[in-house]
Amino acid sequence: MAQRTPSGALRDRRGRSASGTRLWTWLMLPGTLWMTGFLIASLILVATLALGTTDPLGNPRFGFNFANIAAMADPAYRIVLLRSLGFALIACAVCLVVAYPVAYTIALHGGRFKNLLIAAIVVPFFANYLVRMYGWSVVLSDGGPVLRALRAVGLADAHTKILQSGTGVVAGLVYGFIVFMIIPLYAALERMDLSLIEAGRDLYGGPLRTFFFVTLPATRQGAAAGAVLVFLPAMGDFVSAQLMGGPDQIMIGNLIQDKFFQGQNWPLGSALTMLMMAVLFIGMLGYLRRTRKDEAEAAR
Amino acid sequence: MTLRTPHRRHRRGTDRRPRLALTVTALFFLLLYLPIAVVVLFSFNGQKSLTVLKGFSLRWYSAFFHDSVLLESLGMSLRVSLVAMAGSVVLGVALALGLVRCRTRLGSLAGLIMLVPLITPEIVTGVAAMLLFKGMDITLSSGTVMLAEITFSISYVTVILRSRIAALNPEVEEAAMDLGATRWQALRLVTLPALLPSILASAVLVFALVFDDFVLAYFTTGVDPQPLSVRIYSAIRFGVQPTINAVGTLMLAGSVGLVGLALAIPRLFGRRGGLDLLSGK
Repeated sequence: MAQRTPSGALRDRRGRSASGTRLWTWLMLPGTLWMTGFLIASLILVATLALGTTDPLGNPRFGFNFANIAAMADPAYRIVLLRSLGFALIACAVCLVVAYPVAYTIALHGGRFKNLLIAAIVVPFFANYLVRMYGWSVVLSDGGPVLRALRAVGLADAHTKILQSGTGVVAGLVYGFIVFMIIPLYAALERMDLSLIEAGRDLYGGPLRTFFFVTLPATRQGAAAGAVLVFLPAMGDFVSAQLMGGPDQIMIGNLIQDKFFQGQNWPLGSALTMLMMAVLFIGMLGYLRRTRKDEAEAAR
Repeated sequence: MTLRTPHRRHRRGTDRRPRLALTVTALFFLLLYLPIAVVVLFSFNGQKSLTVLKGFSLRWYSAFFHDSVLLESLGMSLRVSLVAMAGSVVLGVALALGLVRCRTRLGSLAGLIMLVPLITPEIVTGVAAMLLFKGMDITLSSGTVMLAEITFSISYVTVILRSRIAALNPEVEEAAMDLGATRWQALRLVTLPALLPSILASAVLVFALVFDDFVLAYFTTGVDPQPLSVRIYSAIRFGVQPTINAVGTLMLAGSVGLVGLALAIPRLFGRRGGLDLLSGK
């Protein structure tokens, strides 16, 4: 049904949505083009340069050369990659173990302070990452409050160190990214039907049994999302290993940084970047398969 | 819980406070704030020491305000954040509007592209941006930092705005058009004002994020001047100066203030739901 509007344009329902589509496309275009030009193009550049070489002067040259990819088989890189994977996975596990009780307490026992408590967790996370890391390294240093407290209760002796060890690096990653675990867990616990817990109790499940067989399964998607959100930045981090670990604890991020700044071997740096992306991609695929299976089960 | 059975087991089960979880939570908050407290406390230290707290002084703040290199970096960070905020808000809001309303194949492709920065570690986007600029023979400077930060921040703005736009009632816009407004007028006079709190909140948030960002700035900055966070990085790597505690404290205060503002904006406008940061939905 066509009708003339005061503005004089001929419109009907279909015409309206067609002209709308054009407007929406025009609105979408600049941002999309910008992202394609600066982000997608640059990522393709990294992938291409991974096949490149360096000339005798150290300048990167594009090419079609698998030497950098082959170099990834070097045991030295494999050790760093496995260490990064290990650190990132342990950091995920620690985040889960710490974040779960925190999210649980706030979501189920936070009362009217819920939002305030979550804000108290989120806001410092927006504070400068380096400044927080630096403060954390002071807190964990040999004369710092954490080691003194641990020594006082006999959990550490005079030789125990946190900094300059793998523990320090993991502690840094956990401190840096735990908020990514707390938020999805909190959201999952908030969404959860609390009568499920009561049902568990009514069926004579003890608190622990109810927790492991009711609460935990009901929130496992939140935990999985949190694990991915912690794992991604933890794998790429190079500040934690630099400030909290020693030369023996470098992660793949430190290698990449080194190849681009000190080593000046950009093709090799690009290859390492692609290697890291490949590992993350496999992790993401696993997560997607898991959630799809969960959704399929929920739909059934 | 309106129905309560006089069942002992039941009562014990639901009413008991989880002592272990409470302890972990308390410890977590202690450890969350301890590092921040340390930086703030030592910024007022009378001594040069970073382990012994003795006397109160503002000497490290005064040292910062007399350090021309750090001040130059501060200026650059402020400029970069302002430009990145303006650019990413304009591009991001338009992109979000398009993404929600445009259900074509191009729309879903754009939606995928927008997610890339969120699932890529920052070091990768940093390396990639640096290679792009070097490949195009662009000298790294504050300009390249701005370009890279805009690219990264568009996603934030779009993610924040997208849920708000989806929550708007499209019939209001339709009503405006039935009253004679063109689609563009309806957008400008009805939709954008309704989105204003969310737009402002995301702008403030982007400013804070860009100002504090280190990784992207590190890979895309030139030699002189460098953004403040890059300066802090080199300072804490090569022997710590207490001045960094003062700079750090100022930056902490700044970003906490900005994030607080971003969270408060919807309330200042007298309505809820500007930022979905806290609900996690």
